[in-house]
Amino acid sequence: MMLEVKDLKVKYGNIEALHGLSFNIDRGEIVTLIGSNGAGKTSTLLSLSRLPQPDAPKVIEGDILFDGESILGTEPHLLVQNQMMVLVPEGRHIFGNLSVMENLELASYPVRNDTQFIGETKDQIFSLFPRLYERRKQRSESLSGGEQQMLAVGRALMTGCKFIMLDEPSMGLAPVLMYEMFRALKELNKKGITILVVEQNAKVALDFASRGYVLDTGEIIAEGTSEELSANKDVQKAYLGG
Amino acid sequence: MFSTLLQNLFNALQWGSFYSMIALGYCLVYGVLRLINFAHGDIFMMACYFAFFIASWFLGNLAGMPGPIIFGLTMILTMVATSGLGLFIERVAYRPLRKKGAHRLYVVITALMLGFILENGNLAVLGASSRRFPDMFGKIVFQFAGVSLTNYKIIVIVTAVLAFALLNLIVNSTKIGMAMRAVSYDKFAIPLMGIPLNRIITFTFILGSSLAAVAGILFGMSYPVLDPYMGMIIGWKAFIAAVVGGIGDIKGAFLGGFILGFIEIIVVAFFPSSYKDLIAFVILLVILSVKPTGFFGVAKSTKI
Ligand SMILES: Nc1ncnc2c1ncn2[C@@H]1O[C@H](COP(=O)(O)OP(=O)(O)OP(=O)(O)O)[C@@H](O)[C@H]1O
Ligand SMILES: [Mg+2]
Repeated sequence: MMLEVKDLKVKYGNIEALHGLSFNIDRGEIVTLIGSNGAGKTSTLLSLSRLPQPDAPKVIEGDILFDGESILGTEPHLLVQNQMMVLVPEGRHIFGNLSVMENLELASYPVRNDTQFIGETKDQIFSLFPRLYERRKQRSESLSGGEQQMLAVGRALMTGCKFIMLDEPSMGLAPVLMYEMFRALKELNKKGITILVVEQNAKVALDFASRGYVLDTGEIIAEGTSEELSANKDVQKAYLGG
Repeated sequence: MFSTLLQNLFNALQWGSFYSMIALGYCLVYGVLRLINFAHGDIFMMACYFAFFIASWFLGNLAGMPGPIIFGLTMILTMVATSGLGLFIERVAYRPLRKKGAHRLYVVITALMLGFILENGNLAVLGASSRRFPDMFGKIVFQFAGVSLTNYKIIVIVTAVLAFALLNLIVNSTKIGMAMRAVSYDKFAIPLMGIPLNRIITFTFILGSSLAAVAGILFGMSYPVLDPYMGMIIGWKAFIAAVVGGIGDIKGAFLGGFILGFIEIIVVAFFPSSYKDLIAFVILLVILSVKPTGFFGVAKSTKI
């Protein structure tokens, strides 16, 4: 297993947000974590990325293993520098005062000496998202929501990490852009990128992923392949509109 | 009349240079940490003392050296010492608060207290008697068209402009400058790019403290009487200048310093000098109330 989450309990202050999550991901997979508002999806990804409090909750029990080793004590920038995993956060968090190109260059910090990789990855990003190429010199604040999401994904690719976690990449996107985004992610997966995607939109997520977990108020209540979950009566009722 | 004007222009540029170099230190730390580093005026004061001891030592031990070399060495060592102080403060005071996610109010109070600690620490260690800054190379007075201009004044103005040009280059044309601008917009995402946030903060404090060091030496040379409270008023004024110019932007902070320099000199030219601060601050207040983002303030999002 590449990533193993074991009985993870996390707290914001005194409020427990996750009550003992366990799940795992192997290299090359597309896995989704679905759940409604407040289920704990973002809390899970923030915990995995090891961001400090108060940006992220505090892990009080359980463990997170990457290739069998605990990363609980690892600083967040080292997870990225060591090419383990990178998060595309909820709300995108692009650097709006920098241009599109500068955002990408900044994100290439972990691979700064590998000019070949940087060049190839830029080309790859621009062929996946031609709109970004058109706007490469523009201040990124002025991009539309969908374009900003593309930039956020592009930035994650530039870090060189082969495991990308995405927090609701479809949020705020028109259906056309949303399908464009998922198609791009699928293409990346074919090139060897492992993906963990968090979604409220269960239908889209289960179409896209091969496996999933259903999260409800901080607990996993169902898991299985996308087919199994789509066929599950409870999941249908709660998340797929009947 | 013309010569008075010219004389005042040079004085305004000189004082503007001091305010600007200190204002930039406030601006940089504010941009990266959203922290008003109220200890910065006292870091400037400490820089004056570092420069005093370093220059005195050189003059005592390397007596034969030409003045400009002593000046250059003093400059470098003072920058190192002041950066050390700035980093020490960052490490022992601000970083632990940041780690605990303390409310900004506590951080600002900490900054204020650090200022008092520096002032009173200095008083305790060195005593109340004020010191005279040594003369590193002779003051030369140029007289032309009824204007008297010293080589010191020229050095102050030229150095301030060069320091700003260099800073501007670092912030806008280097990788670490790009990272500083990114931090000022969104700190959250910095570690997600694999970038160690603390390294950028460290670099920012080095830049701000070095500018205070340069200001400290030049101020000591120009106004050679040092005392532990000398950084307080000038620090507050520089902070106000930074805000009036637009603390969101290094250009704003730099020009803000000169705006204050000019206002002060103009006020003195027309009113008794005891009115200087009163009228100067009334004018600054009016500027701020007309343009609350600062004179050169840009969109809220740019912070360096
Ligand atoms: N910073 C915070 N401080 C305190 N509680 C928080 C904080 N962030 C989230 N929570 C709580 O943790 C729980 C899980 O929130 P989380 O943001 O992980 O949900 P989510 O599944 O991502 O929801 P959404 O779909 O709305 O993004 C919620 O009950 C929420 O109120
Ligand atoms: Mg969320």
